[in-house]
Amino acid sequence: MQSSAANLLVLVPLLPLLGAIGTVLLGRRLGPRAHLPAVAGIGAAAVVALLLLLGTAAQVGAGHGDPLRPAEPVEMITTLWQWATVGDARSGDLAGSLSAPVAPGAADSGGTFSIPIALRLDPLTATLLTIITGVGLLVAIYSIGYMHDDPGYPRFFALVAMFVFSMSMLVAASNFLLVYVFWEAVGACSYLLIGFWYTKPEAARAAKKAFLVNRVGDFGLAIATFLLWMTYGTLDFHDTHLADGTIVEGILGQIRLADEAGYVGGAVGTAICLLMLLAACGKSAQMPLHVWLPDAMEGPTPASALIHAATMVTAGIYLITRSAPLFVGCPGALTMVSIVGATTALVAALIATVQNDLKRVLAYSTISQLGYMFVALGTGTMLGFTAAIFHLVTHAFFKALLFLGAGSVMHAMGGVIDMRRFGGLRHVMPITAGTFLVGAFALAGVPPFAGFFSKDEILATLHAKAHPEAHGSDHAEAGSAGERPRDSSAQLGDAALRPFRPASMTTRSSRRGATGEHGSTAEKVGLDALDHPSTWRLLFWMSLLTAGLTAFYTFRAVFMTFTGPVRVPKEAGHHAHESPPAMTTPLLVLAVLSALAGLVLFVTNALSNFLAATPSLTAPAVARTAVPHVFHWDIAIQGTLAAAIGIAVAAIGHLGRRSDSPQLERYLGPLGTLFANKFYFDQIYAALIVKPLEALAMLTAFFDRAIVDGTVDAIGQVPLAWGSAIRRMQSGLVQRYALAGVVGVLAIVLALAWQLRP
Amino acid sequence: MTQTSLSTFLLAGPELTLVVAALVAYLGGAFCGLRQGWLVALIGIAAAACWPGMGLEAGSVVSSGPFTFDDFAVFVRSFVLLAGAGLALVQAGDQFRGAVTPRNTPRGNGTCEEAGTFLLLLAGLSLVASANDLVLLFAGLELVSIPTYILLALKRTDAQGQEASLKYFFLSLVASALFLYGLACLYGIGGSTSLAEIGSRLRSGDGRIVATAQTLLPVAIGMVIGGIAFRLAAVPMHFYAPDVYEGAGPGNAALLSTLPKVAGIVVLLRLLALGTGGTLGMIALNQGVVGPAGAAWLTFFWQLTAVLAALTMTVGNVMALLQTNLRRLLACSSIAHSGYLLVGVAAAAAADSTIGGRPFPGPDTSWTATLGGASATLFYLAAYVAATIGVFGALAYLGHRWPEWSAGSAPRPPREEVATIDDLNGLSGTNPVVAFSLATFLLSLAGIPPLPGFWGKLSLAMAALEVDWTAKATPGSRRVFFLALAVILVINAAIAAAYYLRIVAAMYFRSAKRGVQADGGLGAGIAMLAALVVMAMVTLQPRPLFSAAARAGASIAAPSTIGGFTPSPPQAVAAPQALIQP
Repeated sequence: MQSSAANLLVLVPLLPLLGAIGTVLLGRRLGPRAHLPAVAGIGAAAVVALLLLLGTAAQVGAGHGDPLRPAEPVEMITTLWQWATVGDARSGDLAGSLSAPVAPGAADSGGTFSIPIALRLDPLTATLLTIITGVGLLVAIYSIGYMHDDPGYPRFFALVAMFVFSMSMLVAASNFLLVYVFWEAVGACSYLLIGFWYTKPEAARAAKKAFLVNRVGDFGLAIATFLLWMTYGTLDFHDTHLADGTIVEGILGQIRLADEAGYVGGAVGTAICLLMLLAACGKSAQMPLHVWLPDAMEGPTPASALIHAATMVTAGIYLITRSAPLFVGCPGALTMVSIVGATTALVAALIATVQNDLKRVLAYSTISQLGYMFVALGTGTMLGFTAAIFHLVTHAFFKALLFLGAGSVMHAMGGVIDMRRFGGLRHVMPITAGTFLVGAFALAGVPPFAGFFSKDEILATLHAKAHPEAHGSDHAEAGSAGERPRDSSAQLGDAALRPFRPASMTTRSSRRGATGEHGSTAEKVGLDALDHPSTWRLLFWMSLLTAGLTAFYTFRAVFMTFTGPVRVPKEAGHHAHESPPAMTTPLLVLAVLSALAGLVLFVTNALSNFLAATPSLTAPAVARTAVPHVFHWDIAIQGTLAAAIGIAVAAIGHLGRRSDSPQLERYLGPLGTLFANKFYFDQIYAALIVKPLEALAMLTAFFDRAIVDGTVDAIGQVPLAWGSAIRRMQSGLVQRYALAGVVGVLAIVLALAWQLRP
Repeated sequence: MTQTSLSTFLLAGPELTLVVAALVAYLGGAFCGLRQGWLVALIGIAAAACWPGMGLEAGSVVSSGPFTFDDFAVFVRSFVLLAGAGLALVQAGDQFRGAVTPRNTPRGNGTCEEAGTFLLLLAGLSLVASANDLVLLFAGLELVSIPTYILLALKRTDAQGQEASLKYFFLSLVASALFLYGLACLYGIGGSTSLAEIGSRLRSGDGRIVATAQTLLPVAIGMVIGGIAFRLAAVPMHFYAPDVYEGAGPGNAALLSTLPKVAGIVVLLRLLALGTGGTLGMIALNQGVVGPAGAAWLTFFWQLTAVLAALTMTVGNVMALLQTNLRRLLACSSIAHSGYLLVGVAAAAAADSTIGGRPFPGPDTSWTATLGGASATLFYLAAYVAATIGVFGALAYLGHRWPEWSAGSAPRPPREEVATIDDLNGLSGTNPVVAFSLATFLLSLAGIPPLPGFWGKLSLAMAALEVDWTAKATPGSRRVFFLALAVILVINAAIAAAYYLRIVAAMYFRSAKRGVQADGGLGAGIAMLAALVVMAMVTLQPRPLFSAAARAGASIAAPSTIGGFTPSPPQAVAAPQALIQP
């Protein structure tokens, strides 16, 4: 089982990679069938991922239905090969002089820096792999119809397959360095797909913007990786049993997870978490790095659906969930996650209310929904993490559906996406309209569609944090990780959780005495003061407001696009009809998933139970926050009410009217201008960052060209001058060569003999 | 000397197999109308690789008469067979006949003589690696040289080709004479032709030996290294390389830039072991002692090779900067690579000689060998040879290009050889696979991470930096000397990048006016792809090659243990300050 699953796991990234290579090599020859290698590769990977999901679920155990009983961690590591090993990387003056806090059990490897190409399979990875390959497959099939007459047809499929490969590797990697590598790789794929129509200046500019803004976040991940290495002495997630019997404790390995004091908190821990948050903000388009995502809609719509809605932008959620044990030790950083998320969710929703470009509405909605997931993550409770992933899953379905629907509209309208220029399309394209409506219900959080349940769980988590007293004792500990009493029940749970402890643990406990001051609960930083019920109360109300706004802008888009008198722009030409089956089939599949997935997953609570066996979430600090699985009627009613109000306002403003008629924002006054200009983020960044940097760039360019290049060119002339001098010695006359050689040897002999002179 | 027995012959099995295959090729070609000479060569090489003598247990040493089989010999032998297979493929695919005119069309026969001669060359090179005797060493080296002359003369019959082969022939004779003179002096010092005997006497501290060495040592070492410099194309015997490479076809240029260099490095390392002991010293007396003569040997060795390394790298690279002809350019770059290799040899010699700038300070028994140099040299050699075979395989595969010719105006001019950098313009569009492979090889030669050439240059630089790692860098000290050498190496790598990248830029950033024909044989293409696979493997997983090179290098510099046939101490492999141990 283990080895066959390991082989299968390798196939998930490998097959799309082969598909990408096949498309590159055969693309020109296959012509209109260039999608075959990519679609086949992604499809096969999707099947394998599904098998792995079922296999992992079987391993977690069907009997495990009690959320209060800590789950046994389920993970499987496949080390493909050891890429490089650098010995004594930690020795030397640097590590000593910095005197950084070192986690217990760190650097047991003697400071050997090794980079295994290791993949892992656990519930979190299995879930995400299924989403990535599944949505990837649907998007790839959809693209067969959408991209059919594009000159870059094979390039598109090669890039999509490449992206699926990179993203699978990102979630399957068991090493922070590999995560970093594929974090960059998905960024590169995203860059190439945004700039897919690179002859369009807006597309090229958007691609550049996405790439550069992401660099800021990537920088955070790089520094976080360095700090992790300094603190933990390894970058592996898993424990490694070396040949000589020693164990290298992975950062998220079983030994460290079982250890209450295994994680460094305080300033260093908070710094690591905040840097990871910065990285997550970049990739997942959270404030203040959210500005790239709306512009990224210049890429082909299927790419937007796959990368900029369903999968890549969730990499930040994945990173934080994976690093959950690191975050729960730093309540301040955790609260920052929620604050960033809630602010982003609200701001993006406000901007979305006045956008007229259908894809941009969806882009801001994506930012807003990702913010929702961040809010959930920031609570640092078991319910929070599982709710975030739950929302990630349902969001992947309904947002991919909405994007593909928007693409279908755009396809039919001849590339026009401005909602004011068309209307009443439900008569023109009924399948698109119907499926879009399902997606809209899901996004708006109308019961019983998927978004309702996941959003409800997020609001419930927040509510529990905001009102710890109302939710009884099972929420109490989650309230403030910093003041958690280390009571006997926690210790007991710990022991029950991990009956097996390797022999090295005995040496660990003695070492802990020396490094105890760095334990996860000891040191407090100023940021931790943010973690207060009043903060959470504010965040709860912000999120509820966002829910209402979400329903409003979603249905505003639905009413503007699909209702009212039929209007079709002249660019549409002969395209103004329902899209081909290759495009509508994925829409239907996704519509079914968007309608039912939430209900099924909520009622059975299968996803949460499954995810609870993810090693990162079995850390005692997370596991003990588990609460019974209940349906919160009060919160559900609040959420539904917010959605209903939103839909009602949208209906009053837009139902049955021409979409180019005056809009509701005229009542907003200056606020409307603020929203329409996206809170002036782009302008502020341009003034504060872009312009000064451009000036600096011009200065350095001058310095580089005039002074550095001048010097280098002058130096470069030296070898050339020598060369022409030496070339004169290449006379081509063999006797001169022989003479020179013999004279040279004699010179050598004389030089050596000179040293032996008495 | 007199222990020659059947078992010795069995140990030399691969060489004998190669010779038998050569005979089959010669006789079959002459009497049976055999045409597939290179196929015979490949089969012969494969048969040699299967011979049980190859599978010597790691770490063990078998010394019998003129032969010593240790990790070093096994490494070189395996390496030679692998490289030989690649070179045979390049040769088979090298359809070069100068300008192809109707009267000068490629001929199909004659390959049997070439293949047979090539097999003898491989056998000679393999013998050099396992030689334990001055006579066998010289004979093996001549068995490398003489087939080279023949191959050069056979392959290309136009004036330029004949000029090249004659030049090589005359200068090689001069070099061989110098080398032989040096060997004679060594015999004069050691009083024996056995390397183990000479080594043990050099290290013995015997007063009589010291007195002899006082006069003969400079001559011996100067002449030996001077003679080897020709094989390496190192200063001061480097002049021939551009002329000869240009006048040879791509197949022969590939051969010239790889096998003689391997021979040269192998001989240098074996002779270096006279001072250190190595596995050669296992059967000799005076273990763990380095007498004044032995210390002087090592001191001279590193001084000489370090200076030659610096000169060779610099001369090769600055000369290459101005070349437009591809084979001339690669000839100059091969000179530079010899310089890099000599850095490793110098580091190997310095790592074991525990004396300072003045000779004969007295015996010093503190053996703190880091062994970085020899292993790094072997690793770099492997990376260099793989990339070089790939480059020339690609060039042989490209073959000729269409001439500029407008239909109807005049008779079609003959096809032209792909000779200059400009001929590669726009190759990425017309032959993307070849362009990609060529770019990979060139970038590896330039030492761009993470390709094998980078690992090689890194380990060479590390070996140089490890010399007297703990000592203070006072002016004139050995540490400063090697620091400077490492700096020169890095500067040279930067200079080299200029001309390698120029070729890559031509392939990728310029447009083609005329497409190349790619009329080279299939063999050259296979050799190119095989080299690409090797590059990819070493890039992704450099560890096996590193450990093989480390083991082989250890038998050169290992402090010996007393008694014959005992394994060399494995702990000697690990370098205390080695920062890179993939």
